[in-house]
Amino acid sequence: MTATLHVTGLRKQYTGSAAAAIAGLDLTVSSGSCVALLGPSGSGKTTALRLIAGLDAPDCGDVRIGGVSVLQLPPERRGMAMVSQRPLLFPHLTVLDNVAFAARMAGASRRAARSAASRYLELVQLGALAQRRPATLSGGQAQRVALARGLAAEPSVLLLDEPFSALDPSLRTDMHQLVMEVRAILEPTILLVTHDQLEATTLADSIAIVVEGQLLQHAGQQELFGSPASLEVYRFLGGLNEIPGVLVGAGHRSALGVLPTPRMAGRPDGPAVLTVRQESIGVVAADDEDADVVGVVARVTPRGPRTLLEVTTKAGPLFAELPAGRGVGVGAVVGLALPMSARLVVPESGGRRRDRVAAAQIIDGSPSRETQVLAGADRASEHSSIRDRS
Amino acid sequence: MRPRTRRGRALARSGQATLGLWFVLPLVPLLLWAAARRWSYPDVLPSSWGPEGFVAALHDGAGPAFASSLVLGLLTAGLAVPAGAMAAHALAVDPPPAARTITVLLLAPVFVPPFVVVMGLNVVLLRAHVPPLFGIALILMVTAIPYTTFVMRSAYAGYDRAIEDEARTLGADPRSVLLHVRMPLLAKPLSAAALLAFLVGWSDYIVTLVVGGGQVVTVPLKVASAASGTGNDAVLAALSVAALAPPLLLLLVVGLLARPARAPRSAQTVPTAPAELGLTGAN
Repeated sequence: MTATLHVTGLRKQYTGSAAAAIAGLDLTVSSGSCVALLGPSGSGKTTALRLIAGLDAPDCGDVRIGGVSVLQLPPERRGMAMVSQRPLLFPHLTVLDNVAFAARMAGASRRAARSAASRYLELVQLGALAQRRPATLSGGQAQRVALARGLAAEPSVLLLDEPFSALDPSLRTDMHQLVMEVRAILEPTILLVTHDQLEATTLADSIAIVVEGQLLQHAGQQELFGSPASLEVYRFLGGLNEIPGVLVGAGHRSALGVLPTPRMAGRPDGPAVLTVRQESIGVVAADDEDADVVGVVARVTPRGPRTLLEVTTKAGPLFAELPAGRGVGVGAVVGLALPMSARLVVPESGGRRRDRVAAAQIIDGSPSRETQVLAGADRASEHSSIRDRS
Repeated sequence: MRPRTRRGRALARSGQATLGLWFVLPLVPLLLWAAARRWSYPDVLPSSWGPEGFVAALHDGAGPAFASSLVLGLLTAGLAVPAGAMAAHALAVDPPPAARTITVLLLAPVFVPPFVVVMGLNVVLLRAHVPPLFGIALILMVTAIPYTTFVMRSAYAGYDRAIEDEARTLGADPRSVLLHVRMPLLAKPLSAAALLAFLVGWSDYIVTLVVGGGQVVTVPLKVASAASGTGNDAVLAALSVAALAPPLLLLLVVGLLARPARAPRSAQTVPTAPAELGLTGAN
């Protein structure tokens, strides 16, 4: 029995806290779909999940399942089940009775509950461990049992709270595979909370990015990476290159000159940041005709099978990823090819006025009266901005 | 932590053996006296054996005394364990203002000898028509609560409430959480607290004597009575051995409860690909 989850205006501010843990969250998880709530630690994701589950009371907002508000219902009557980062198995019960717990609470006989539970235990390939105690399970096994226990509750919405972040990468991959197969079989409605982009992109149909209690963007994977709603989203998704400048017609004017950008309807001219993801940038010879920018390699950082280059350019450092096997040393002069399709002009956000100042300086050559005023204001907030970014 | 060197292990073993002897040795003459029919000086061991000590104790009313002690111990545990558990829950989970002061007040009965406060209370209980055994248990509860509170407080400090949240989302209402999650998970500390509270009731002498006013005769009163006379060594020993039995039995039960779960000899490997199981109907 899956159902659509609607969350509207959900807000929670803890006593003594200066800011809201979650501020006006609006989210829809369609029946049978999986939405990932992706954000850094402390961004309010888990708070949102607890509010939805009924474990904490929101200051305002509503939670509806299948169109019916469950805000006034206690957790046990909301028809949800939660799987947390820690398995939280009941140590006094066997694995089978752990999975049968929800059915027993719903009034099923011990035999019926165990019979149903054994099917879910088989689903996660742990039927052989039915009579074991949780203390005797490995971390991966325990998390599989926790998943089976959540599924066995046959919830309208399954809440997954960083369920695999404590597992090693290999086990995590196994669990991702398992969840995908479970989704194919049971089609549960899933709200997944995670800080792991890979997990979110692997498991979810759409991703909602939450930073500091604010929902920044909720979209499919392609849209998020292809059209981030703000620099925060771009940065959170790992984007490293930001070229401050001004959007003029179909081009972006910066210290790198005028770089043509794809036309985007409704985007006004003015200060704007051009972004190009590091994995999209091609590293070519300095005199190559494809080179849009020329710079000097300042740092080479191995990243597993790839290498990250930091290239000093007129517009500051730009980053590019190289596949394994291509050796480029520090001090080499290289050309960077910025593919047209990867050039994204991202709107500036309120906290990024320094970029606008820098852009104005680049264009005019000297600070204007406006930029001097802005720069003065920015100097005052520079320290906190740097601290925030770090 | 286990000692790593051979010498360290030998030292640890000899230490354990010494400690064991320290506990067991005083019981040896007691057991010998309880089973002795005749033991005259200068014999090292009794010259003849028999159950006369136990028989005499039974004739002297040891049976009802044993029953009274049992009821008193159970009543004290029955009153002090829930009270201590609730106080510990309040202190550990949601500390009230001035929690430290409350903690000190809860501990206070340990520092005050019971007879200091019991004088006068017997009159109050008598006027309130409280049954003597229950009245004694009520007063002993005050002495037992510090023990039960502090055992349970330590237990709550290590108790992960997230497991209760998990149970709630799986459909357990607060009562079911209490019965099916919290109490089973806290069974070990609860039984340890119950054992301590039982011992307070089981071994009490002063409060029983003052409040019971001779109407309530328990095993400690019988032991004291036998010890005050002469020639009652076998009866005294039999009473003492009988007094040892329930606490030892309870200690055994608590010890068994506290045993850690045994780990499997080898971890089973888990296949990665789930099979088709015909669960598509779950929606």
